Amino acid sequence: MPNAKKYILTGVTLGCIAAVAAGLIAVTNLITAKKIAQNEIDAVNKGIASIFGDSEIKNEGKVSGHDYVTYYYQVDYKNSELEMHGYAFKCEGSNMYGKVSLIAGFDQKSNFMSLYLIKNEQTYASTLVDKYVVPLNDAESSKKDEALDDVSCGATYGAKLVREMINDAKAASSEFWSK
Amino acid sequence: MAREKGSVRKNFLKGILTENPLFVSILGTCPALATTKTLEAALGMGLLFTIVLICSNVLVSLLRKIIPEEIRTPAYIVIIATFVTMVKMFTNAFLPELYSTLGVFISLIVVNCIVLGRAEAYASKNGPFDSLIDALGMGVGYTLAIMLMAFFRELLGTGGFTFGKVFTFIPETPLIIPGIESYTISLFQTPVGAFIVFAIILAIIAFIKNRKAELKANLAKQEKAKKLAEAQAMAAKQAEGGNK
Repeated sequence: MPNAKKYILTGVTLGCIAAVAAGLIAVTNLITAKKIAQNEIDAVNKGIASIFGDSEIKNEGKVSGHDYVTYYYQVDYKNSELEMHGYAFKCEGSNMYGKVSLIAGFDQKSNFMSLYLIKNEQTYASTLVDKYVVPLNDAESSKKDEALDDVSCGATYGAKLVREMINDAKAASSEFWSK
Repeated sequence: MAREKGSVRKNFLKGILTENPLFVSILGTCPALATTKTLEAALGMGLLFTIVLICSNVLVSLLRKIIPEEIRTPAYIVIIATFVTMVKMFTNAFLPELYSTLGVFISLIVVNCIVLGRAEAYASKNGPFDSLIDALGMGVGYTLAIMLMAFFRELLGTGGFTFGKVFTFIPETPLIIPGIESYTISLFQTPVGAFIVFAIILAIIAFIKNRKAELKANLAKQEKAKKLAEAQAMAAKQAEGGNK
């Protein structure tokens, strides 16, 4: 049975390579997991600071029952010396062009304020940022909805995904304020 | 085993000049077009690519007598994918800005033709040291090539360079080139601009190559004519001597 021996040897070799590969990845994960988790926390804090400015997270937790919203953050912030309350939502989603993870901020009336991209793995990542996210964040409060709907930007599928995420977060914000 | 004098240098330099993966072999063009918007992103991509190429080349070379012929390609892909995953995790942990800038293109190193090509064409037939030098040369060559593209794209698209945005351990320093800032063409920051820059560089390289070949041919022609003239003169001299 010379063939059987050959097949076994081939399988064993590939199995050994796969096992060593899995071991290497496991060791790398062991080294990097904590740092990656810390980076994610830092990114969330940075995102909340970029949306609300001088702010403090009062409460946070997991959100269920939504397509994209995964976490909520109850935020106290200052606007022209006035103490304000708002909500930030962490949203995660993906389409055929890759993953997107963002923080969306809402004021007391559930008006969308701005968003911060935590992870943007879209193929047209920079186009999505330059042609959709930046104009959306820069739009005046009265024109936010218009900018949100203007998804024809050269990264239309990415922009549509972001729009769906913001709308989902908006629904979550309304739910939270009505409680 | 004694190495031929200058062979290491030649092996290293071929990846940068005569066999440059991007400008000569036209391999790895997808990330070259996508990650050359800024000089820093291109440098980051080049470094990650070089690390993966070196690690996979050396390991493939070490295992070249163990891996059976039939499963060569899947085994190489597993090796390359492992190193790409490790590099991706380390980048996510220690250079998060670079990770988010390069995005999906870090994972796409797995399917980069250069990495698999060097494993198949070089590392599987040569020793670990030669494979290391080959990978280093190819990596440096690729990095320099994409940095050259990024240099023109960032300069013409933004009027200068910004350092410290991707490699956040250095302070953010915008470097505006006076005179160019008022004449920036944003097209160069788009994929179309990348194609234009790539095409122009390839055209220049082709022009230089053709010119060199022409000069060589002319030189050979002159040499041939000179030799012919010398032979004729010699023959005439001999004929003259015979007559006397």
